[in-house]
Amino acid sequence: MKRVSADDQAVLFQLRAPEHDALLDLLQTYPVVPPAHQTVSKNLKNTHPTDYQHLLDEALAEQRAANQKHLHAWLATPGRFQRHKAGFRFTLQRTDSEWLLQVLNDIRVGHWLRLGSPEPGELKPQTLDREKLPAWLMMEMSGFFQMSLLEALE
Amino acid sequence: MANVAEPLVLPDLEKETRTKDELEPAYLVVCWNDPVNLMQYVTHVFQKVFGWEREKAEHHMMQVHEQGQSVLARVSLEKAEFYVHQLQKYTLHATLERDA
Repeated sequence: MKRVSADDQAVLFQLRAPEHDALLDLLQTYPVVPPAHQTVSKNLKNTHPTDYQHLLDEALAEQRAANQKHLHAWLATPGRFQRHKAGFRFTLQRTDSEWLLQVLNDIRVGHWLRLGSPEPGELKPQTLDREKLPAWLMMEMSGFFQMSLLEALE
Repeated sequence: MANVAEPLVLPDLEKETRTKDELEPAYLVVCWNDPVNLMQYVTHVFQKVFGWEREKAEHHMMQVHEQGQSVLARVSLEKAEFYVHQLQKYTLHATLERDA
């Protein structure tokens, strides 16, 4: 995924065909992080039992629902991805960049959780069994798109 | 009537001079290390959520990476909840803790 051009409002990207397919496959999996995964506090648990946690869970659930709705609308926009030579081009409004980064990181973290939250040294694709390989691929691909996006936005 | 000075009633300085921080307990916004969030992404999120310059955001990101955690802000409970929610929207491992 490469940046073709950019201005204050938007960034134009060029994707190779496999990248386009991978991005669509990836985005279809959102959300991946399980609800109520996040903890509001480590040391307030005893003094403030569930209030904050409940509020946080609700706020994050609303956020996920809004992101999902936005994602569906974004993907369904006619001409979102336009064929260009051997690949595709798409325009990302800068106002959509934070939302897309959040979605991609949810996918990355969610697949990492599915792999059992391994430490970096524990993740060797050659030693992963067949069941875990797709999650590893999804995690790596979302990282690739995140980095491409961050570099393009700078 | 004799000009007798009225006794001065001094304000209770101990009470009057208590700062807002003392009246409103401070909370820490802490970001914890994990092996999945990319360093460049974490820096970006700190810049967005706190409005920091890149250098400051990178400093805190490196603290998280090398020391396992970084205190990002010491604020009121309301603000701490707000920041923690913002950071968790980006799926960072962030919590609010009462300042000791």
